[in-house]
Amino acid sequence: MNGKTMHWVNRLAVLGLVVGLVAGLAAAGSAQSVGGQAYSTYVNTPLGSSGQSPLAVLPAVSGTDGAEADAEGSALNVAGALSSDFLNSITSGEIGAAEAGAQSTSSAASVNILNGLITADEVVANVMSSASQSGAVSDAAGSTFTNLTVAGRSFSGDQAVAPNTNVSLPGVGYVVLNEQIPTGDGVTSSGLTVNMIHVYLQSITGGIVDPLTGQGIGGITTTTGEIIVGSATSSVGR
Amino acid sequence: MMREHGTLIVWPSLLAAGLLAAACTDHPNVSMAPKRPSFWLTPPPAQCVTGKWTGGGRIDPTGNRAASNYDNVDEPAGGQPAAPDPAPYMTGKVTFGFNVFLGQDANGNCIVTKGEIEVNGHALKLAWHVSIHDGVDAYDGRPVYANEFSDGHPGGVCVVVGIPDNYMTARVNPGQGREIVQFEVCDNDRGGRQNTRSDAMRWRTAGHGDTGMTYLTGGNIVEHGS
Repeated sequence: MNGKTMHWVNRLAVLGLVVGLVAGLAAAGSAQSVGGQAYSTYVNTPLGSSGQSPLAVLPAVSGTDGAEADAEGSALNVAGALSSDFLNSITSGEIGAAEAGAQSTSSAASVNILNGLITADEVVANVMSSASQSGAVSDAAGSTFTNLTVAGRSFSGDQAVAPNTNVSLPGVGYVVLNEQIPTGDGVTSSGLTVNMIHVYLQSITGGIVDPLTGQGIGGITTTTGEIIVGSATSSVGR
Repeated sequence: MMREHGTLIVWPSLLAAGLLAAACTDHPNVSMAPKRPSFWLTPPPAQCVTGKWTGGGRIDPTGNRAASNYDNVDEPAGGQPAAPDPAPYMTGKVTFGFNVFLGQDANGNCIVTKGEIEVNGHALKLAWHVSIHDGVDAYDGRPVYANEFSDGHPGGVCVVVGIPDNYMTARVNPGQGREIVQFEVCDNDRGGRQNTRSDAMRWRTAGHGDTGMTYLTGGNIVEHGS
C-alpha cells in the first residue's frame, strides 16, 4: 500500500469514526421510554377495600409517537373508609426527535375519609416529566387541595401543600399530604409520583400506656392499611 | 501490517456509516425544523407536516383578561375568535389530556387521522371525551378538520382541532350526552426547558362556554413531529 492509498484510507477511517460517533450521540440523545399512570382512589383497610380506580395507564410508546389514556368514575364509597365523586384519571406521553415526556392528572371531589377525619371539596394530582437536550425534569405543578381539613386543621381555598407534609392522626396512624416520590438522575431520566392524600393506618401491639401522659410507650407499630386519594405518576428516560 | 491495520479501521467505519444510513431509513422526517408559514391560511396542507401532538395538565381559566394566566398573545392567533365564544367564560379548574395525529384527506385538507381528547370541567363536574379513529369522529361519524399555525410567542405553534364548519362532537358525562366542541393548544417551549408554564390550552363548547386561551397551571403540551 503506497502513501497515497494510506492517506485515502485514513481519511475514510476518520470520516467513518466521526459518522459513527455522531450516530451514537444521536441515539443517546433520543428518548427511549416514557411512562405514566393515574388513579383517583385506592383503599386497603380492615373496613373494606377498593383497587386503584379509575385507573389510566399509558400504553407503550415507541418511535416518534404518542398516546393518551383516560378513565372516569362517577362515585366511590367504601363504608367508613372513603367516599368521593367525580373521579377522573388521565395520562399521556410522547416521544419526539427533540423532546419526550409524559404527563398525568387525577382528581376526586367531595372527599370524605374515615368518617370526616379528612375532607376536601376536591383533590387534584398533576405531574409532568420531560427530557430534552437541556436535561430531564419532573414537577407537580397544578397539584392542589380545595378546602382541605385534616383532623380539625383547615387549609382553606385552592392551594398546594408543602411536599411530604406529615400529619399525625392519633389513634389511627398518620397522613402524608402531597406525598412526592421522585425517580431518575435528572440528566437522562426523571420521574415523579404524587399521592395527594396518603393515609397510613397503624396499630400498636404490646407496650404500656404512660399513666401521666396517656401516651403509649414501647410496642410494635404495624401498618394495617392505607388510603390514597389523587395519585399521578409520570416518567421519562433515554 | 499497515494494510491489515488500515483494513481494521476501515471496516468498522463503513459499518458505522451503514448503521447510520439504516437508522435514518427507519426514522424519516425527524427534523424539528418543519416548513411552517408565519401566518394562518385555510386549509393549508403544508401545515400538517408536523402532525403529532400530545399533552395534558391543568388550566385555571378565570374569564379575566388581566389575569396573569390569560394568554392574550395566543388567543387571536390563527384567526381564532376572541373569547368567550360562545359565552359565557368557562371558569374553575379544567384538567385534560390528549393525543392527536394529523394528516391530509384527498382534497389536501388537514384532518385528524386519530385522536383522543379528554377534558374535565371541575366546576361543572362534566367530563368531555372526543375519540377519532380513521379520520372519523366516533360520536358523529364526520371527519374532524384541524389547523396548525404559528402563534404570538417566538417559535410557538398552535393546533386547533375541530375547525369550522364541522367542529367536532364530544361525549359528555355523566349521562352520555353529546356536545359540539373545539380544542386548541399551543406549544410555546418547543425543544427547550419544558416546565415553563408557557404552553396554553382553550376549550370551546356549544352549551357550556369557552375557557379562553389559558396558560397551563401544570402539565405540558408537546408538538412532537411527523
